[in-house]
This record gives sequence, C-alpha cells and structure tokens, in this order.
Amino acid sequence: MDIIEKVIAFARPASRRGVAGIWDDEHKMVAAASKVHQAGFTQIEAISPFPLHGIDDAIGIPRSFIPWVTFVFGLIGFSFGTWFTWWASAVDWPLIIGGKPMWSLPAFVPIMFECTILFAALASVGALIFICGLPQVDPPVIDPALSSHKFGIWVPEGSKGFNGPQLEQIFKDHGAVDIKRAEF
Amino acid sequence: MADVAHKNPGPLIVSSGTKTLSAVLMFIGVASFAVALMTNAERAWHAYLTGYFYFFILGIGGLFFAAINFVTKSGWVVNVRRFSEALTAYLPVAFAGALVLIFGGKSLYEWMRPEVVSADALLQHKAAYLNTTFFVIRLVVFFGLWLLFKHKLIGGSIEQDKTGDESITQKSVGWGIGFLLIFALSFSLFGVDLIMSLDAHWFSTIFGVYLFAGLFQSTMATMILLVIYCMRRGLLTGFVDDNHLHDLGKYLFAFTVFWAYIAYSQYMLIWYANLPEETTFFMPRVTGSWLYVTASLLLFKFVVPFLALLPRWAKRSHMHLTAISILILVMQYVDLYWLIYPNLNSESVIFGFPEIGCWLGFAGAFLFMVMRFLGTHAIVPVKDPRQFESNHHHVVY
Repeated sequence: MDIIEKVIAFARPASRRGVAGIWDDEHKMVAAASKVHQAGFTQIEAISPFPLHGIDDAIGIPRSFIPWVTFVFGLIGFSFGTWFTWWASAVDWPLIIGGKPMWSLPAFVPIMFECTILFAALASVGALIFICGLPQVDPPVIDPALSSHKFGIWVPEGSKGFNGPQLEQIFKDHGAVDIKRAEF
Repeated sequence: MADVAHKNPGPLIVSSGTKTLSAVLMFIGVASFAVALMTNAERAWHAYLTGYFYFFILGIGGLFFAAINFVTKSGWVVNVRRFSEALTAYLPVAFAGALVLIFGGKSLYEWMRPEVVSADALLQHKAAYLNTTFFVIRLVVFFGLWLLFKHKLIGGSIEQDKTGDESITQKSVGWGIGFLLIFALSFSLFGVDLIMSLDAHWFSTIFGVYLFAGLFQSTMATMILLVIYCMRRGLLTGFVDDNHLHDLGKYLFAFTVFWAYIAYSQYMLIWYANLPEETTFFMPRVTGSWLYVTASLLLFKFVVPFLALLPRWAKRSHMHLTAISILILVMQYVDLYWLIYPNLNSESVIFGFPEIGCWLGFAGAFLFMVMRFLGTHAIVPVKDPRQFESNHHHVVY
C-alpha cells in the first residue's frame, strides 16, 4: 500500500491554489463568468456537468485548435493511404488482379478514405486528451457536485489580473451558493 | 436574441419586377422549346427533360426536407422551414410538366418505340414494366401521392399559421413518416422511369440514391439562397441568424460528401466488375469531350465545395455560402446533363439555346410558383409550438 501511495503522490498533477465559486443555476454562473472576464481576470476555469451555451464567449476562450489537428492528420492519412496502396500493390508485391493495372486508383480509394478518417479521428481524440492533460491520477476536486448538478468558476491565485476580494465580491453579487479557496 | 421583439414578418412582398421576370423566362422557355421542336425534336425533348427534372427535384426536395423535420420534431429548423415548404408549391406545375413529357416519350425512350422493341429481345422482356401505359399510370399515381402528402403536410403547416393548433404538429409526424416511406420507393422508381430508362438495357441498383443525393444537395443550396435573400432584406431579423445558416451549411456539406460517396460507389462497382452490360453507361462518359464533363463533376460538385465548406466560418459567411450554393446549383445541372445527354449524342458534348431556353422556362415557372407561395403565406411559421426553440438556436461547433 505504501508503494501505491507513493506512486500516486508521484503521478499526481501539480495543482494550483485559487478561488472557486459554486452555483446551482447555470444562467447565474454564465453571467458571473462573463462579469469575471470583463473585470480583467485572464485565467478562468468554468466547470459544468454538461455543455453550456455561451460559456465560450463569456470567459473569452479562443476557438480550439483541434480542427487543425483533424485537418492536418486527415491530409497525412490520405497521403499515407495513397502511398501505401501504391507501395504494396505496385512496388513491393505486384499482382495482376482482374486484368487491372498494378496501381488502380479506383480500387484504392476506399483505403485512402479509411486512412483519412482513421488518422483524423485518432489524432483529434489524442489532441483532446493531450490538451486536457488527461489522464490524471487522483486530481484535486473542488466539489464533487460539479460533475452532477452544480456549476463552478475557478481562478488561480497570482494569475494576471487576479484580485481576490474583487473576485469574491463578483461571486457574491451573482448569487454563488458557496465561495472557497480550492486547489485545482 | 431574447430581447428582440418577435413580430410576425408576414408574407414576402414580391416586386412586380420578379413577376415580370418569371413571365419573361416562361415565355423564353416556351418559345425556345417550340423552335427547337421544329428543328430537332429529339434534342428539344432532351432539353425539356433536363430542365424539367432539375426543378422537379427542387419541388419534391422541399417536401422531403419538410417531412424529415416534421418526423424528427426538429426545433431549430422551424424558422427556415417555410422556405422548404415554398419549394413544394412548384409540384403541381411539375405534374403538368410530366404529363407534357409523355408526348415526347418516343423521342426519349427507345422502349416506347414499337419498331425498336420488336427487334430487341431484352426490351421485350422488360416490356412488362417498361411500357407506355404502365409508365403513365406510375407517373399519375406517384404525383397523386406526392400532392396528397404535400396537401397534408404543407397545408397543415399553413393552417397552423391561422389557428395555432398544436395537434397539427403531432399529426404531421405520422404523415411525414408515411411520406418518407413512399418517397423512398416512388422517387427511385420515378428516376428509373425518367432517366435510367433512357438507356433501357443498362441498370444500376444505386441509381435512385444517386439522384436523391443530388436532390438533397441542390435543395439545400436553393434554400440557403432563399434564406440569405430574405435575411439581407431584413425580413428575418430576430428569427433567423447565422446559427441557422450554419446548420443549413452543414447539411449542404454533408450531402456534398454523400453525393460523392454514392457517385463513387456506383462507379467503383461497375469499374471493378467490368461487365459489358454495366460499363456501357460509363464508356461514352469517359471518352472524348465527355471526359471533361465527368472530371468537372468530381472537381466542382465534390472537391471544391468540400474544401470550401470545411471551415466553420465558411458556413456562417453569407457571401461564401451564396457562392458555393450557386456553384452546386450549376453543377447539379451539369450532373443531370451528364446523365441525360449521352443518350442523345454520345460522340460529343452539345450545348446551346434549346438547353438554356428550356432551363430558363422551367426556372420562370419555378420562380413564379415559389414567390407566389412566399407572397401569400407568412415566411416564418410563427404559431409553430417549437418556434421558441428556433428563435434561440445556438450552434457551438
């Protein structure tokens, strides 16, 4: 048991201290997030059990770069499929099938297509896991209810534009049910 | 959005210029068809069939789009649904056009010519299905069914504008399911009758789906143009915004891919099996000047719209969507031309005033019927029970 705890302690992500507000109404939380963003806070984490309309704009996060990963890896997969079918059937092991030329593009389009999809899909999921910092071992939990029925905003201490009393005031003004110092 | 007052925009005010334009177009159509009929009847009927099928597809496509959204109880689509309903206003004209087409049957379909059939064992074998009487019966039955469902689905939607009766929305689900089942069969058979039987020896089991892919693609392009036109005139403020366009653009994108998928599926199987009775379809289309038409389909009906519609902003930009929609509508004509014209002249590509004239004639009739519909009924179904959902439509990705 001792070893397991040591491994967990080693693998545990470095968490930061910050201030969290908890809401039980998502509209109030989005309004608060918008206000926090306007007040000049730069690093804002919004936590919700389900996708919230308008939260992207509210906390001012730019569009994800994952679509570019998808596109580039789609192109790579397409090129790979094209190259591989050519290499396999025209270079490495040429076989005449149905009297067709060695490298018959129509026959290989399904493979090129599938490689495009495979590379694009796996790269997208991989990129998502990477930028979310997953998997995490025993990550800090602000409030277990945030994954079922509550909504939270967390701002790390010392980030650019951070102002503790002002943040707590905004949380209070927007009807937060709980305000606490929390690691995340 | 929530603060915008949602007042009924009412019907579209159709300018007299639009009415004049559609009348002029119809006159050009009739005149050029008449002239072409006297000079080269066979070519005239091929031009007629191409123009006819082009706009028929938009009419039935509007009904199909409305039906899938009734069946899936879609909320977001409510504020743009009237534009797909407007397309169905053309269906009665399409019925009349189909009846006229029967007179050109002998010029188009060799299986309608007794002297050809008597010398052809295969056509005699197929005569149980491919004969003029049964052709006319099918045509009338199909249009009868389509007009019935149009009356039930679109008529119900119009009635709801006055009464606000929510039971109409519920009944539309049942009628919609019925239409989708009947549409799948009848549209395939109708496409086989009108286009595949041009070469009565040839057959392809995916042909109906191929036509359907073009149907959905061009219907979406037409709807997007209508929606952007009304948005630009400020008629849809508070009802339709870029989020609705984004979803319509996604449909356009999806069915661009779908069309390529089906077109390729048809080509690949025929290419692979290499059976003479099947390859007769592609042989004239990949030789001589027809090869360029085939290549242009691949490039401009799939590759260019695919890449152009890929980014998120592209599906939210009015200018961009307009350009791509117009490209797709042009390529839809090329597609039908590619299907129909090798039957008339497989040696080389011919294109001229009979083709343009007939297309313009049907365009005039289509414009007239659609604008008359939009000019009579409110362009937003304001009493639809799901309208609130559509007013607050928001697309995150």
